[in-house]
Amino acid sequence: MVDKTKAELQAAFADLTIIEESYPQCGYHLSVDLKAKDILEVAGFFDERHFYLAVELGVDYKDYLELVYIFSIHSSLCKVKVTLKLDPSQPAAPTLSKIYACAYWYEREIHEFYGVRFEGHPGLTYLFLHDGIDFYPLRKEKIPVSEKDRQELNSYSPALRDDSLFINMGPQHPSTHGVLRVVLKMDGEYIEDAYPVLGYLHRMQEKMAENRSYYQFLPNTGRMDYLGAMSFNLGYVTAVERLAGIDVPARAHYVRVIATELNRICSHLLWIGAYLADLGGLSPFLYAFDDRENIQDVLEAVTGSRLTYCYFRFGGLYNDVDDAFILGTKAVIARMRGRFALYEKLVGGNVIFINRTRGIGVIEKERARKYAVCGPVLRGAGIGMDLRKKEPYAAYPEIDFEVPIGTNGDALDMYHIRIKEMETSLNIIEQAIERLPDGPFIVEKAPKKLKPRKGDLYHVVETPRGELGIYIVSDESDKPYRMKWRVPSFSNLMIFPELAKGNLLSDAVAILGSLDLVIPEIDR
Amino acid sequence: MEKENLPPVSFAVLDKVLDLARANSLWPVTFGLACCAIEMMSAAMARFDIDRFGAGVFRPSPRQADLMIVSGTVTKKMAPVLVTLYDQMPSPKWVIAMGNCAISGGPFVFEGQYNLIEGVDKLVPVDVYVPGCPPRPEGLLEGFLKLEEKITGKRRFPGPVERW
Repeated sequence: MVDKTKAELQAAFADLTIIEESYPQCGYHLSVDLKAKDILEVAGFFDERHFYLAVELGVDYKDYLELVYIFSIHSSLCKVKVTLKLDPSQPAAPTLSKIYACAYWYEREIHEFYGVRFEGHPGLTYLFLHDGIDFYPLRKEKIPVSEKDRQELNSYSPALRDDSLFINMGPQHPSTHGVLRVVLKMDGEYIEDAYPVLGYLHRMQEKMAENRSYYQFLPNTGRMDYLGAMSFNLGYVTAVERLAGIDVPARAHYVRVIATELNRICSHLLWIGAYLADLGGLSPFLYAFDDRENIQDVLEAVTGSRLTYCYFRFGGLYNDVDDAFILGTKAVIARMRGRFALYEKLVGGNVIFINRTRGIGVIEKERARKYAVCGPVLRGAGIGMDLRKKEPYAAYPEIDFEVPIGTNGDALDMYHIRIKEMETSLNIIEQAIERLPDGPFIVEKAPKKLKPRKGDLYHVVETPRGELGIYIVSDESDKPYRMKWRVPSFSNLMIFPELAKGNLLSDAVAILGSLDLVIPEIDR
Repeated sequence: MEKENLPPVSFAVLDKVLDLARANSLWPVTFGLACCAIEMMSAAMARFDIDRFGAGVFRPSPRQADLMIVSGTVTKKMAPVLVTLYDQMPSPKWVIAMGNCAISGGPFVFEGQYNLIEGVDKLVPVDVYVPGCPPRPEGLLEGFLKLEEKITGKRRFPGPVERW
């Protein structure tokens, strides 16, 4: 696939220099440096070949700004990094939002953090930052907000431009699970349009990453996605290990898999409880939390925390697991297996639940690709991409498991997929415990101070919500030069306005819930 | 003063009765901000069962609530919303700052930060601080007991014995 793409790209654009990169080191296969005028054609080329835009981000190299686009494909392993150099005094680039719908959101983010103007972008207003911001936060030098951008700083208020009825859902709304605000444009009881407004929990994680050493940033990962803290922790640790070339003992790999999968079950359990509570059924919440507490007990004993885990270290683990952990995990597996019948009785077979979720928020394959949705939402749409299988990390290559795929792509499918994923996780844990090797749990000479090689890396892992991509630029110091988090909930939220259009207001909650959003992860 | 001129009801006693009622039916507003909100939910669920203290009636509307648990990071964008919610709550009302972010900005304070309110007490008066990142549900329960103590003047259960 890589060779084919390279040949085709070369044939289509004769004057391009395509560089083949080492995939194990960089996380992508090909890299291309472009002129601004070519980007639309190149993006069109990838769009025709069913690539999706995994992430679009900016990096400030002081003498120039760089836009990085990572194109990837669901069906096989081929990633292309496309870069675009911009003039830092007047950064401007053409927009990709007409080709890839997800670029609409990424470009808004780059606009407010770097001040890049995207020509032809339909809605370049502020999304994350508050009204009082007077500089571009991720630029290396403090550059004041331009006059044109200053006018767009005020929080989003569409009612001033339009006299339709607008309803604010959030930021304090029980079903947005945090502080998401969605402004709904209504036509009677039906939703005409939806505008998510983000940034109510923007905690400057990417800015912080540039201010701290690799070690100091470790606890932040668990606070980004507090429900899948272990996956985020694992993603960060494996990314830095890949960048710095640190080997990990086999035992650590297996324990990482066990801990991450236990955490995945926790996350899905909370989703079931919270989703059903959104739809009006409170009792599954109590059952789900009961199961969750049992898993947390097991994890707490080895990691020391209940929620925001920081268990992994570069080169291994914080401490080794003991027999009590193994016994506890086995007990959890036995208990959980018996609970699925109960959930089926309580939720899956419940007529009210089925009628509220069937046919709601249907995602087609093509739309899923345009929006680069990921995780259970993507698999619900019928695309069986799981990064644990596609780009295996930790001990996943040695473990045999199936990836559940949905058929309809509606909210009901999302429920079934998450239930099946919990069963898959139980199988994975069982296999990992069986094969758990003896030996050290951390490399003997775990580096005290990390200074990775110069260069960049795009590393992905599968979190409970989907594809987490970490793009790190290292300048050989002990702090990352730039760290971008491509978070799964953000790309899953992007599709919400499309899904909500034409639906009833009460269904908006059912659709929003089915996407399983974690807000601090979106806002970072 | 002669005895007949005294008011028929002693308001001091009535106040005590009301305080007792308030302390035993604290209704928090459903207001989760970040990670701590999950532990707040855990505290309300079966194992920790905040209903034992009459505080399990989470209200989605601030107008029906008398307690605000600020469970998470308060950003500059969220601050006006939080103050509005607090203003909408009827008096008497109390605030619990749950977790380090709500207390002081917690782990997200660094030089040059541009988006954080470093402590919710800069916006609204706080009655009880519950430290932790995030605090355990037991920690939040202890926060409730402290608040009850503050309202009624005496502790519901004997406190932990100080051993060191």
